[in-house]
Amino acid sequence: MKFIKRHISLIFPLVAILLGLEFFIVFDRTTDSFEKSLKNGYTMMVVAKDEMSIDDFKAWDEHIEKVEEIAKSKILDRVNLNTDASKGKTFEASLPNFYSVKLDSYLTISALDEVKKNLMKSKSIRRIETFNSVYQSQYELFSFIKFSFHTFILFMTIIGFFLIVKQMEVWNFLHSQRMKVMEIFGASLFLRSKVLINMALIDAILSAVITSGIFIAIQNLWVRNSNMDILKENVEEIFAFTDFFILLTASVVVVMIAVFLVVINVKEE
Amino acid sequence: MSNVVSANNLTLAYDSEEVIIKNATFSIKKGDFVFITGPSGSGKSTLLKSFYGNLKPEEGSLVIGGLDMVNIKKSKLQELRSHLGIVFQDYKLINEWTVEKNVVLPLWISGYSPEVQSTQAKRLLHHVKLSGKEEKYPMELSGGEQQRVGVARALAKNPFLILADEPTGNLDEYSSNVIWDLMENACHQLDTTVVVVTHRIPMVFNIPYRHFTIDEHGSVYEVH
Repeated sequence: MKFIKRHISLIFPLVAILLGLEFFIVFDRTTDSFEKSLKNGYTMMVVAKDEMSIDDFKAWDEHIEKVEEIAKSKILDRVNLNTDASKGKTFEASLPNFYSVKLDSYLTISALDEVKKNLMKSKSIRRIETFNSVYQSQYELFSFIKFSFHTFILFMTIIGFFLIVKQMEVWNFLHSQRMKVMEIFGASLFLRSKVLINMALIDAILSAVITSGIFIAIQNLWVRNSNMDILKENVEEIFAFTDFFILLTASVVVVMIAVFLVVINVKEE
Repeated sequence: MSNVVSANNLTLAYDSEEVIIKNATFSIKKGDFVFITGPSGSGKSTLLKSFYGNLKPEEGSLVIGGLDMVNIKKSKLQELRSHLGIVFQDYKLINEWTVEKNVVLPLWISGYSPEVQSTQAKRLLHHVKLSGKEEKYPMELSGGEQQRVGVARALAKNPFLILADEPTGNLDEYSSNVIWDLMENACHQLDTTVVVVTHRIPMVFNIPYRHFTIDEHGSVYEVH
């Protein structure tokens, strides 16, 4: 009971911070793939007087990743004009060139407008259709979810840090007398803080294990059995083996900073 | 005989405005037993603190065990302290450690093996008449017993210099006598230098001693 009481007060805030960190990692990974699918699904249409290569496009804006020419015959088929073959050929020859343009990332609306503005500087380009309204609603929803999640994570981390500061005050109260006596008898800084370091390291390891356990449970007990496609598609993104080491490193760094701050603030009377 | 403590025009102050000890010049030789007396607030404890590097001299020089305390480095100070035995009026025991662990603290700091620590703890606790209390915690002992643990800790590593700040200040007669006996023995049998800050020199003292006094202006005199 004494062991649990002594450790829980550090493990609790540490787990809160590590949960925040792991949620951030997972969210970043899953949104990255979602962002990629949004990006891949998005194209802008460019109408140009002359034929243009991908290098011509890239010369005007560096966000251009892929350019595909849309066959004029396809456009005519869509328009479905009732004209004879010879007239159709003449009409096709008089048509400008149509291009489907993909970008290298999922841009903000203003960045998208910037791309449009850059491309319009070309004398060959006559018109650009960016399909702003569809893009905007998708982008805003995505941005809102991302912002809400980041705010929640930030809030959790701040609370975690406040709890750690409280724990540092408790450590100072519990360990300062011992450290002062040890200093009088010539103990080095390491020796004076050894008890605290050992305890903090145990808590750091336990916190990383608990946080990893929570995410492994979420991955295997909930996400795998979920009916939501978006979750099922990203089940492997929920927890990767390397995440344990990221969490362990983060928790060790946090507790070592906390221990160091406590130890250097203990002044001999 | 070589000097264990050597002060030359030593001035001690907590800040440059408030000088505690003024231009003190004295030396203490190996095997000396020294009492430092003086009125409350005269700077007796301050002088003792400067001996273990808790307070740096403001002016003058102070050499302890051959080390210049004005320019001493942290690592050297740690080394010096590990060869001192210090006894405090408020004992300064570690409450969450057992009596045995408290006694062997200087040995543990110096990296002695657990076997050596255990043997030495038993010997010292027998010496201070606390055999059988190894596993007790300080709060389970009386004030006199706690101070005897403090003295045992000070003697643990056979220090070359024992510094005691009012070691019997809060104690009953029996505990006071035990502590004076221990100090006398350390000085007489082991040739350890002992410096004791006290309000009153004990009526019965069995070995020769020197007596320094500090007046209310912070001047240090030897009383002959």
